[in-house]
This record gives sequence, C-alpha cells and structure tokens, in this order.
Amino acid sequence: MISPATTMREVLEAFPGARRALFRRYHLGGCSSCAFQPTETLEQLCQRNNSLNVQEVIEHIQTSEAEDQKLQISPADLSAAMKNGKPLKLLDIRTREEWDSGHLDGAVLFSQELMNEILGSWPRDVLFVVYDHTGSSSMDAAAYFMGHGFEQIRALKGGIDAWSQQIDSKIPRYRLEM
Amino acid sequence: MEDDLQKKITEAIRNPKNMGEMKGADAIGTAGSADCGDLVRMWVKFKEQDGRKVIDQATFQSFGCETAIAVASLATELIKGKTAEEALKMSGQELAKDLGPLPPMKIHCTQLVEGALRSALGQPQKTAAPGEKSGSLLENFSQSSASGKVRVVPLNEPKKD
Repeated sequence: MISPATTMREVLEAFPGARRALFRRYHLGGCSSCAFQPTETLEQLCQRNNSLNVQEVIEHIQTSEAEDQKLQISPADLSAAMKNGKPLKLLDIRTREEWDSGHLDGAVLFSQELMNEILGSWPRDVLFVVYDHTGSSSMDAAAYFMGHGFEQIRALKGGIDAWSQQIDSKIPRYRLEM
Repeated sequence: MEDDLQKKITEAIRNPKNMGEMKGADAIGTAGSADCGDLVRMWVKFKEQDGRKVIDQATFQSFGCETAIAVASLATELIKGKTAEEALKMSGQELAKDLGPLPPMKIHCTQLVEGALRSALGQPQKTAAPGEKSGSLLENFSQSSASGKVRVVPLNEPKKD
C-alpha cells in the first residue's frame, strides 16, 4: 500500500513499473531534467509538479501493471506484423557487441545520433517495436517513447532471447559477461 | 552564473564536436555509474608526429546528461595533439574550463568525461561516491546500449566459475 507520505524509493520497490507509469501520464522520471529523488515523497513530487492530484497519481501507479502489459508485443505477433508488409520500425537497444552477435532483420541499433532522428522525424503512428536481450530495459524504452507521442510503441516480450526460442533459432541465444 | 553556464552548455550541445562512434579507433573507454545513471564512452585514435605518439582524434557518446555532452565535446578538442601522458595529466575541471566554474552537482559530469578518457588510455578511474539519484527511463535503457566492455557468450559455451 502506498500513501502520499511514501518515498519514491518505496514506491518503486512496491511497484517496479511505477516509473514507466509516471512518465507515460505525467512526464515524470523520464530523463535527468524530470527525474525524482528516491528520498522525496509522492506528495512532494506532486507538489513540485503543478500540484498534481496525489490520490489520482497513487491510483494510476497501482494500476500500472496492466498498462505495462499493453506496451508489450509477443514474438508471434511481431513475426506476423513483419510478414504482412505494413510499415514497421524496429529498434535494438542492446550493446554493439550483442548486436554483432545477431539481430532482427530490419532493425537499427540505438545510438545518441539515432535518438535525435527518432524524436525528430520517425512517424508517431506506425508500429514501432523496441527490443533488448530479455525484455526488461525495452519496457523502459517503450514507456519513454510512449511519453513522447509514439502511439504504436511496443516492447518485444522476452526480448531477442524469446524471439530466438519461439521464432528464429538461427539467432543465437547468449549470456553476458562484464 | 548558472544562466551563463546554461548558455554555454546549450551552445555546446547545439553543435557538439566529435560526437559518435569512431571506426578504427586505437582505444575505447567507458565511464559511468549505475547508481548515478550517466554514462560516457570515448574513442581515441593516435598518430605519429615529430617522433611522438599523439592523439589524432577523439570522439564520444554521452547518455543521459547534457553537461557531460558539453564537457566531452570540449575535451575531445582539447586533447588533440597531446600524448597519452599529457592528456592523462588533465583533470576534469581542466577539460571543462571553457564552461567556467561548475556548480557542485555538475562536477560529476566532468569526472565522467575524465573517467572515460582514463579508461580509454588504460588508466584506472577515480572512484566516485555513489549518487542518490533514482535514475530515469532514458538513463535506464540508454545504458543497456552503451554498457562498454561486455562479452557475449553463446549459451552452449561452458560457464566459467
């Protein structure tokens, strides 16, 4: 249970998708300029952001899990979309090393330069799928782009690892060593 | 002072110098902290000049922090023509001197650039105190695309213990 006095650290522990939910609706926590501190309370966060209704914010966070699920696309559905020939954007947000080990056809590798291009000129209304290794960071990316108006943004459920297992076994599965 | 600093940062990020990956670089370095969320990656290429091995070109990528972009843009210009030893003698504050005095919360950005340079030139990085920022969406997923020296191990390769 969260309340106006709950700190943002506690909120994120109780609702791991809270950051995504807050950015999607309120543009909070997306980048360094709208970030929040783990020690500030929900009430403080709301007060310094145009006095948002804290109870409404709490309700939104508590229903965020369902919102997260709406952001996902299954490997099977992505495969079908790729086959039907409709406009589609595919963004790979893994490291260069992972990209070199194998990636989806038609995908582009994320970079700072590409970020400028995406925000500046990519269409907001076509299917835009972002993927990572196992489907965790891509949820943050999808929420970020959703907050910037990309209506058809989706994160590949399970990442390229799930794609390899369910759709294309020629994409090698791997683990990472730092 | 902060208005003046913001103007300089805005100007620097409007037309950043040497931004992007470098093909054929002689060295690559990465600095950043998962606690803080900001991350800088730097590429360096050397050339021979008057019998000395000097930095011919340096490029960078910065994820999540506009001040770090401004500092890295300045730094990659400043270190051209210097040997690795000369470049390593430059502190973060020297690399960012054209921005003028930085407030305490921005010092970390110069340390990131200095750290990426030290990493590229094979020197250990100075350890920064862990931050109290909670990170952001952009930082969270930008880091996954720039996490530096990682090794991709096929799942059928035996795990090392």
